[in-house]
Amino acid sequence: MRQECRKLEETFLHAYVDGEFSPEESAEVKLHLDECATCAHAVRLHQSYKAAMLRAHTTAPHLFYQGVREQIAEEAAHGRWARAFQKPSAIAVAAACVGAAAWFLAGGLSHPLFASHSFIEDGIALHARALPLDYAATDPRSAQQWLQSKVDFGVRLPRFAQGPKLQGVRLSSVHQRQAAVVTYSLPQADGRRVSLLIVDDPEPHLPGAARRIADREVWLSRARGFNIASWRNDEIVYSLITDLDEPDVLALVQSAEMR
Amino acid sequence: MLDFKHTDRTRREFEHLSLEHLDALYSAGLRLTKNERDAEDLVQDTFLRAFRFFDKFERGTNMKAWLFKILTNTFINKYRRRVKERTVVEGAAREAGNERFVTREPTESSADPEQYFFDKLLSDDVIRSIDQLPIDFRLVVILADLQEFSYKEIAEILDCPVGTVMSRLYRGRKLLQKNLLGYAVESGVVQGKQAMELSVRVEVEEEADVLEFKRRA
Repeated sequence: MRQECRKLEETFLHAYVDGEFSPEESAEVKLHLDECATCAHAVRLHQSYKAAMLRAHTTAPHLFYQGVREQIAEEAAHGRWARAFQKPSAIAVAAACVGAAAWFLAGGLSHPLFASHSFIEDGIALHARALPLDYAATDPRSAQQWLQSKVDFGVRLPRFAQGPKLQGVRLSSVHQRQAAVVTYSLPQADGRRVSLLIVDDPEPHLPGAARRIADREVWLSRARGFNIASWRNDEIVYSLITDLDEPDVLALVQSAEMR
Repeated sequence: MLDFKHTDRTRREFEHLSLEHLDALYSAGLRLTKNERDAEDLVQDTFLRAFRFFDKFERGTNMKAWLFKILTNTFINKYRRRVKERTVVEGAAREAGNERFVTREPTESSADPEQYFFDKLLSDDVIRSIDQLPIDFRLVVILADLQEFSYKEIAEILDCPVGTVMSRLYRGRKLLQKNLLGYAVESGVVQGKQAMELSVRVEVEEEADVLEFKRRA
């Protein structure tokens, strides 16, 4: 009996316990189980295995449930603008409105799609305020090592061929996501600063206009008087926030090595 | 046009359909990432992505499977590279040898030859055994045995043929049961000679599996 049922035993009986069979097929298997102790044992063993597995269930913390709801609400509030602009007719109407508003606000407003990329706005705020550093370093390697131990996503600090001098790193969070702000100074440009915002952002689109620079897709944008270049490396978003002119930003991105 | 009422309704519909699966997604996410913080990030990302692509969801079809497809894709694309699977596979054997020598009093029923030792396992041992599985096997086992998806649903979630699901599931379960048996013997739930009998069922096939996994990893 044992020998002849070896074949039935495994995948077939598993599939039966897993509920993969039609009622008719199951009835046939049941008939067999009444006669065959070997298969009946295998079925009971698999049932007890499956029951044990269900004990590995965990419920989500209540606060987390609230957090997810809040995130969806926030996304709905931000995303509604971005989504509204997906319709051509809405774009026409909205473009007219935005155009008119832009005249009045004279440059204060940038791109309407910024609404969904407020992490850059947060980055600008961090850049503008020049907050104290959590870790001062002039050597990119040690800064990267330090950062790697502090954030839970993979970080690569770009190496710039010349110009920006690394000053240090500050940890932050934008939109409930971990972020790091790496600060550089530019001796040849009256000590002006450049901030590199590193954030693990799942949003598929980056703000601005895409350009291909040094084998990278780079998005250039302008907000609140800053020129910003953003790119993605291993899913992580890097945004250079600068008060440099666009050609200087381009040169900077061009020289950045992400190894 | 700018239809704000519509987006509110969409959000309510989305929440209505999706939030009931939050515990299931979290539970699976926790076994995929093996820690609470990553699990929360993963599930959070999953919900945001699902909400963004909600217009792509065919109403009336399987919402839970759709969410799990997003969860597994997000995990594979983003979190997997963080998880150092190989050290886990290799470390598992050593850990099992050093760490746990808790003896429980053998109960009367544990002398029963017809006992089903899975019934007596602690959820901690179950969790630990799942966490030791290489990711490809862990994924199908989580979907089939924790979430009770059908083979066909799993094939759709993972974008692979049903045959692949079945063979991975079979081998994943064997590996897992081997781990479980190990814990059961260590803790005295199963005695040595019963373990010998049981191991006929819980066959030692995993050597080849682990090697194959390493080659691919």
